[in-house]
Amino acid sequence: MFEVFLKEIKELLRDRKTLMFIVALPLLIFPVIFAVVGYMMAMANLEAEQEVHKVYIIGAEAAPEFTESVKYHKNFELVTANYANKNDIIQAIQNEELDVGIVIEAKAQPESREQTTWQVIYNDSARINYLFIYIEELKEQYQSKVQTLSFNALGVTKESEMEFLISPIKLEKVDTADARESWGEKIGVLLPYLLIPIVLTGAVYPAIDLGAGEKERGTLETLLLTPISRTNIVLGKFLTVLSASLATASLSILSMGLWLFVARTFVNVSEFTVALSHITFVELLAMLSLLIPLAAMFSSIVLSISIYARTFKEAQNYMGPLSMLVFIPVMISVMPNMELTYKTAFIPVTNVALAIKELLKGTSEIGILAVIVGSSILLAVGLLAFCVRWFNQEKVLFR
Amino acid sequence: MISVNGLKKKFKLTKDHKKGITEAQQDPREEKDYFHSVRDVHFHCEQGEVLGLLGPNGAGKTTTLRMLSTALKPDEGSIEVGGVDLVKKPLAGRKAIGFLSGSTGLYGRLTAKENVEYFAKLHGMKGAELKQRCDELFTLLDMHSFLDKRADNLSTGMKQKTNIARAVVHRPKVVILDEPTTGLDIMTTQTVINFIKGLKEQGTPVVFSTHHLDEVALLCDRVTVIDQGLTCFDGTLAAFKEQGHSEELNQAFMNILEGHRHV
Repeated sequence: MFEVFLKEIKELLRDRKTLMFIVALPLLIFPVIFAVVGYMMAMANLEAEQEVHKVYIIGAEAAPEFTESVKYHKNFELVTANYANKNDIIQAIQNEELDVGIVIEAKAQPESREQTTWQVIYNDSARINYLFIYIEELKEQYQSKVQTLSFNALGVTKESEMEFLISPIKLEKVDTADARESWGEKIGVLLPYLLIPIVLTGAVYPAIDLGAGEKERGTLETLLLTPISRTNIVLGKFLTVLSASLATASLSILSMGLWLFVARTFVNVSEFTVALSHITFVELLAMLSLLIPLAAMFSSIVLSISIYARTFKEAQNYMGPLSMLVFIPVMISVMPNMELTYKTAFIPVTNVALAIKELLKGTSEIGILAVIVGSSILLAVGLLAFCVRWFNQEKVLFR
Repeated sequence: MISVNGLKKKFKLTKDHKKGITEAQQDPREEKDYFHSVRDVHFHCEQGEVLGLLGPNGAGKTTTLRMLSTALKPDEGSIEVGGVDLVKKPLAGRKAIGFLSGSTGLYGRLTAKENVEYFAKLHGMKGAELKQRCDELFTLLDMHSFLDKRADNLSTGMKQKTNIARAVVHRPKVVILDEPTTGLDIMTTQTVINFIKGLKEQGTPVVFSTHHLDEVALLCDRVTVIDQGLTCFDGTLAAFKEQGHSEELNQAFMNILEGHRHV
């Protein structure tokens, strides 16, 4: 078995495609993708922040101070035109003569004591649009002044009285979750989405190469004629696939940690890193011990599929839907009210996703973790037994 | 010595297999859901003999050789190699067999040397014994110039030499060759022919399937003809010509097949 394992590892390490999937993908490609996406998003944000929007106000005379603040806002250019109504503005926006129109129906004056409605007309389909936020900020400033004048007219001058009249009851949130729990909840949703498919990705390519690839190249039949049992052959191959899967997952975690460290020098993530610094070595080991049986399950499944396939291409066709299927249990783990309990600890893959979240939050229970590891190991052993049995069948090997 | 008796092997037919086949086109070996690839094959080959396994495409030669090499398990029948019952003790049998076919590949990312050494290790060889045997084969097959080249970068001839070394590195008692010269150039074919001659001189029984009857004339002591999963001739080369009513092997082969199909 170890002869087969050592030879398979040697061959895999000499294969550029495998190295790309196992080493380059997690170490370089993922961070590069994240960096490129992050850079493009930052650029798009910057562009949106610097963009100057053409604005026209109908009824400007009803709110001159507001109109003035729009005129001097760095992101607005007040257009001098003669649009009579809402329809004219919609037309102008469609013709790209204008970015936004504000229709002020009536003056908001203390004497009238009637709420007035202003309409903000613009195209809201853009991905990043600060337009409405800017206008809302300016409206808030103007509204505050009108409110003060109105209260003064009613004889209310104290700020505390004004606050009471605007909002007699104030709700104050006291969060019992510490920074780690809060960050753990957020990252705990994302991390399984990255980590679990990576564990699968790390297993897929080597499995195809070691099963269907060997069949196609004509080396499998030669291997079957050596005096080592088929069980030992398949176990050697399984160990190789498992090692590749775990190497990919470990390198991915290492890479993410490394790039997070690099990112600290550019962006302020101190709260996040302080929160995560509470994760103990034992908890990291627990995460790894959750991933090992998961990797073993995936390795057995992909190896069984690969052994069944006649060609590399056929195996690839089977692996596509499998990659999609893996997301389903991960998605279940982020469903509302889905929590790690002794019941959910038996749902394969979902249990690992939930446990990773609990470990990140620092709220994991050793009993439930033991159930997850135990049930996952049992399932992995079952799947491996199936894979061994599968490999011993002539109808599978000589399709 | 190799002795094969009453060998049978059937495969389950897939739905795709049955699709669009009319009754007239149906192979007589198809029965309900099964295809009886090998129905009754028998032959034997003594020490130092070379047996040529002949038959038209799809006759069941490859299935027979796969059973002989222990890759497939027969449904019925017996295979004995050097006194070892291959059906009952396939693992022990594999130590006694060297198998080479035209389609068997090498591990492309391993060097020629690594390929041969890997199979030696799988056969339980190690240390000085492994090194000595490998060196012996590398010299015999004139492989030293490309030993450290990856198999992917070898020429067809170099690959076939490596394949030969891989097949016999464990000193097998019998050698089985499935169409070993198919698709090879003249030089490489000659290497294979010389290899078979060498085995014969050493007294190793060889069973090889081929479509090239000139190779049969050159190498074989015995001939077995398989048609539609049945042995329709098993005997010496002289008996083959006699039963085929021709000194010319192609004609003798055609006559034997025709005679079998008319029975």
